[in-house]
Amino acid sequence: MTAALVVLGYALALAWLVPAPLARLTAAGIGARPGLAAWLTAMASALACAAVALRLLAGAAVAGWPRLAEAVCRSVAGRACAPVVYRSAFFEVPLAVAAVLALLTAAVLAWRYGRSVQRAQRRARAHARAARIAARPLPGAGTALVLDAPQAAAYCVPGRPAAIVLTSGALAVLDAAQLTAVLAHERAHLAGRHHLLISLTRGLAAALPGVPLFTRGPAAVARLAEMCADDVAVRQAGRGTLLAALLAMGTGAAVPATALAVTAGPVTARVHRLLDPPRRARQARYRAALVAVTLLLAGASALVIAFAVPLAAHALAA
Amino acid sequence: MRGFGGLESVIMHMVWDHDGPVTVRELFDELRQERAIAYTTVMSTMDNLHRKGWLDRAKAGKAYRYTAVASREEYSARLMQEALAGGGDTEAVLSHFVAHMDGAESEVLRSVVRRLAGGRPA
Repeated sequence: MTAALVVLGYALALAWLVPAPLARLTAAGIGARPGLAAWLTAMASALACAAVALRLLAGAAVAGWPRLAEAVCRSVAGRACAPVVYRSAFFEVPLAVAAVLALLTAAVLAWRYGRSVQRAQRRARAHARAARIAARPLPGAGTALVLDAPQAAAYCVPGRPAAIVLTSGALAVLDAAQLTAVLAHERAHLAGRHHLLISLTRGLAAALPGVPLFTRGPAAVARLAEMCADDVAVRQAGRGTLLAALLAMGTGAAVPATALAVTAGPVTARVHRLLDPPRRARQARYRAALVAVTLLLAGASALVIAFAVPLAAHALAA
Repeated sequence: MRGFGGLESVIMHMVWDHDGPVTVRELFDELRQERAIAYTTVMSTMDNLHRKGWLDRAKAGKAYRYTAVASREEYSARLMQEALAGGGDTEAVLSHFVAHMDGAESEVLRSVVRRLAGGRPA
């Protein structure tokens, strides 16, 4: 019982205490990939520990029930309480009710998660189908499509086949090099399967509303995924080019390809790290810190589970 | 050559480029100038587009005359509206190059651009 409560406490601590410092550590996107790993590890650890804790608690409850029933029975009926009474079906009913409630809760959580993920997928598929008909292929750019629309927009739609959609408004404000940067960024999303991370974390947020780690997770993961894609685009097209593309698309006006300096939204954070990339030493420090956080989270969770499970088994056997 | 899905797009754009209603025969005659294609392929593709709600058709003599249900601009506008609607399920799957920004954030970007244009160091 104690072991189970310790694991549960640890899972709750992860879910409530980790998001704020982790958000601060990953806000600037220095080390976007290790930052992404840290968030996903925190979420996976919290889920795994909560699952183990609930399993242990259920085990302890089932094992301890007859004794609890006996104690309650004796405190009410005194000596008149015979084993026949407290071992009767009457005492098993609450246990069955608890089990049914637990199953129902699990079903509701799973349904919420599934609905969130499925809706998003269905929308994406319908959108991609319509875009493939209404848009024209961008010459020489593989899966890229051009939609006749004045707004400057570029996005990718996952699926098989995936599509990258650009508007004619976007083509009007991007030069050839900037277009390469935008395409590289979107291809990095598709190659990195970022939509899976985003729909997974959004599904968890839908299933577990009110839990900070999961409510803050999707935005943090989306932001870091953008930055990971930016890093790929920088390697292919150069920092200045990507920055100019970002500013042109963000303001809907062409921007000359020169580099410069700025500031708290996800887009400005990206602009900021492109304008003012951190020095190597600072980058290395952040990366090391994030890798350490990830390993610490994974290691601590594994240890907590590894110690608690045999302890709980031992308590049950005693 | 592009797949069958690509042909749907090509045909829709041809219908949009025509002023009035078109028949399968007219589009087939245009298409076969640029690619090897069977009449029945064009016919079944247009039939598909009709079934999917992209094309309207009316019987004229022995053949159907097809028109687009909505203009290219209307479809594009609808798709854009869907893609740009923030906070929905669509947002979860469409990775925008530049996410939807609030007023303050886009003002910051504009000021960066102004600084760039002025050539003033930050």
